[in-house]
Amino acid sequence: MTAASRADTVGIVGAGRFGTALASVVARAGRPVVLWSRDANVVASIQNERRSPRLPDAPLPPPLEATRDPRRLAASARLIVLAVASTDIRQRARELGEVIDGSHLVVHAIGAFAAPGEDRCSDVVAEATPALRIGALAGPALPLDMAAGQFASMVVASRFTEVTSEARRLLNAPPVLRVYGSGDLVGVELSAALAGAYSMALGMADVMGIGPGPRAVLVTRALAEASRLVHAAGGDPRSFAGLAGLGNMLVRTSPGSQARDYLLGNRLGKGERPAEGEWTEGARAAVAGARLARRLAVRMPLVAGMAAVLTGAMSPREAANLAADTVAAEE
Amino acid sequence: MVSDRPVREAVNRLAGFNADRDRLLAEMERRVVGRHLAAAARGGDASLEYVLNDVCYSEIRRLEASGGKRTRELERWRELSGRLLHMSEEEKREELRRLVHHYGRDVVGNFDPRVFGFASEVLPPALGFLFSPVGSLREGVAALTRFEGQVRVDGELELARRLAERGTLVVTPTHSSNMDSVVIGYALIRAALPPVTYGAGKNLFTNPFISFFMRNLGAYRVDRRLRFELYKDVLKEYSTVLLENGYHSLFFPGGTRCRSNIVESHLKLGLLGTTVTAFKNNVAAGAPHRRLYVVPATINYRLTLEAATLIDDYLAETGRNRYIIIDDEFSRLGRIVEFVRKLLVHEGSLVIRFGRAFDPFGNDVDDDGESLDRAGRVVDPASYVRGADGVVDDEQRDAEYTRLLGRRLAESYPRETVFHSTQLAARSLYDRVTRNAGTRDIYRLLRAPAETMMVPVTDAVADLQALMTRIGAEPAFGRLHPQVAGQDAASVLDDAVHGLGTYHTHPIVERHGDRLVVGDLKLLFYYRNRTHHIPADARVATAVEAVA
Repeated sequence: MTAASRADTVGIVGAGRFGTALASVVARAGRPVVLWSRDANVVASIQNERRSPRLPDAPLPPPLEATRDPRRLAASARLIVLAVASTDIRQRARELGEVIDGSHLVVHAIGAFAAPGEDRCSDVVAEATPALRIGALAGPALPLDMAAGQFASMVVASRFTEVTSEARRLLNAPPVLRVYGSGDLVGVELSAALAGAYSMALGMADVMGIGPGPRAVLVTRALAEASRLVHAAGGDPRSFAGLAGLGNMLVRTSPGSQARDYLLGNRLGKGERPAEGEWTEGARAAVAGARLARRLAVRMPLVAGMAAVLTGAMSPREAANLAADTVAAEE
Repeated sequence: MVSDRPVREAVNRLAGFNADRDRLLAEMERRVVGRHLAAAARGGDASLEYVLNDVCYSEIRRLEASGGKRTRELERWRELSGRLLHMSEEEKREELRRLVHHYGRDVVGNFDPRVFGFASEVLPPALGFLFSPVGSLREGVAALTRFEGQVRVDGELELARRLAERGTLVVTPTHSSNMDSVVIGYALIRAALPPVTYGAGKNLFTNPFISFFMRNLGAYRVDRRLRFELYKDVLKEYSTVLLENGYHSLFFPGGTRCRSNIVESHLKLGLLGTTVTAFKNNVAAGAPHRRLYVVPATINYRLTLEAATLIDDYLAETGRNRYIIIDDEFSRLGRIVEFVRKLLVHEGSLVIRFGRAFDPFGNDVDDDGESLDRAGRVVDPASYVRGADGVVDDEQRDAEYTRLLGRRLAESYPRETVFHSTQLAARSLYDRVTRNAGTRDIYRLLRAPAETMMVPVTDAVADLQALMTRIGAEPAFGRLHPQVAGQDAASVLDDAVHGLGTYHTHPIVERHGDRLVVGDLKLLFYYRNRTHHIPADARVATAVEAVA
């Protein structure tokens, strides 16, 4: 590939549902995409049949190339989107770090804390790779919607204007995908992670039969406590009200939602106690968020309650009471 | 450990500075003028009229505020201000060139190898004299030959020397005293490191004696009263050109002297940013091998000359209307004379410690000067300023890099801090006072009753021992002065009480039988603040809450 095409190529790490959907959208817009997967079957299927077993309905036209060779990815694309699970981020970032240099722009699309722990994924990327120009991509873009060509929006956040502008230039694919820019990396990352925890809380509350009034209170209290945490961590408290926070929460808790966080919340509300191996990103975010809140001395009764339910320290009813019993002060 | 390599073996690029000066100035002028003309061509607020008017307005305000002694200069600026509206574009361009040239000449330094040689010979014994116990003339003469024990230079000296031969050093020390520039200059000589150029406040040039040495040892003048953009551009570009041309430099990233004595964490990044710019320019010019290395350093005084003035300023600033400075019976000059007298009869000491260097992007560097990413891989620093098609100018990006560098520097300072007995004892005593008074608020403590200022010696020794143990176990907190590390807590406390009790105008703490009595809480707070980054011992925090 020539230097010019390297500037115009999008590299994607991870051929899961989101990574594949994003690759599909960008390739359909006519831009070259290199998708790095460790799974030989997935790579072969994309290269030979132009379809992915992970997202069979997504069109994968030729500007999309799948590869098992990370060096091919690094040499072909300057902008790299890390679209892997929070449980894989540390390992994949280390592998990516072996092949990229300081000229790469790395944007992760992981709406969660890096597991295990409460590190932000951008910090993990900074620790594991030579890249300094790092950003986060988040928002209510569902893989099936993107594959079907439905309207979706996301926000890309970075302290480097170059990262947001390049990511927007290369990922914007209207009318399917619109990408907004933000300078609040901390706020967008935390908002995206916490949105999963609150989606789970709403899933639990819905199955417990709360009415629309208490549900609205729950949503607004979630917004308030998440904003407090974002502020304490050095971000802009308004970020949670945007695509990464509220946007993600609404899409995962809409009527008929099949979002994993919401469904896990349903199970919790029915009194089940899923094993840690069954936890979703939102479940891990609740536990990690509660730890971070303690460390930053931020009061977060909802997140703390969900963490307590997950670990068996509290029943769903007790957690609901904890949230309801919060002393009302000035809003 | 102090190197026995003579300084001449290190690369003293300043030795050729005078011959290079006009070229450097011309390059600075070309760039600043070119940038402003290009910006003016785009119109808006960057028009030449706006730039020139900003200069006139600032200069007129400065001169009016100075009391009207410089009326001719003031008239000239008023005349230019009035003429601006009627000037042609060519006349404005010419005026811009003239002003950039004028400010460049005002800033530029000088380096005289003969003065440097003289200073290298005289400075060490002179400083030794200053920091030695001197009771009589005979002792004073002996002190001239005993100075090494009083002043320690340690840390990553070998690495700094290697890097000085592989690239350009940017030394970035903490800043707590006006003596710092002299002290760091001495430390460089002792460490067999080359001399550096640095920006010094123009006010320091008013003394003809000091001015002579500063001007001839590579210092350039920074007039902090000039706050308009054109002057800042001249300063930054001058610094950038110096760095690009391999002149080792020094910045105090904390800006002015630290008032509180807290190890600096909020750094001013203005001149530090020229490090990134200079390296980017080197890469663009096809010389990515011309590296720059940012070397953190801490200057650790056992006792600080200006402590009383600094902590007064700090408390007035942070306390706002809660604290009013009450001047005592000494005039400022009187205080200085008193301090100097005490300094000459008191045992003082200091440690200058150099940390491991960073590249301009905040990456660590290995012993060969190669940049390492956070995972320890060698990384090409030029890649950080390259886009897909080569080097890209991007001020916002470079400002972020500088912020990252500043964060790494700020993280390194506590680690490289060396604690003297005075700071450790002050911390232990201050914690006891907070427990006695049930508050950690300095303003409330200043009004606390006298009995809260008394601490049993046994308690102070126990607390000091616990603090020393904590610091010894946690390298991120800093390190104990070797003399402190080799003593038991009771001896360390005795040494500290001696220093704190006799150096300043009023005793900070005195021993009365089996009790220690705090006499000057503000200064105790000042010395205690050097350990501010060390979290409160859980026992202390609990005890304060219980009393409160």
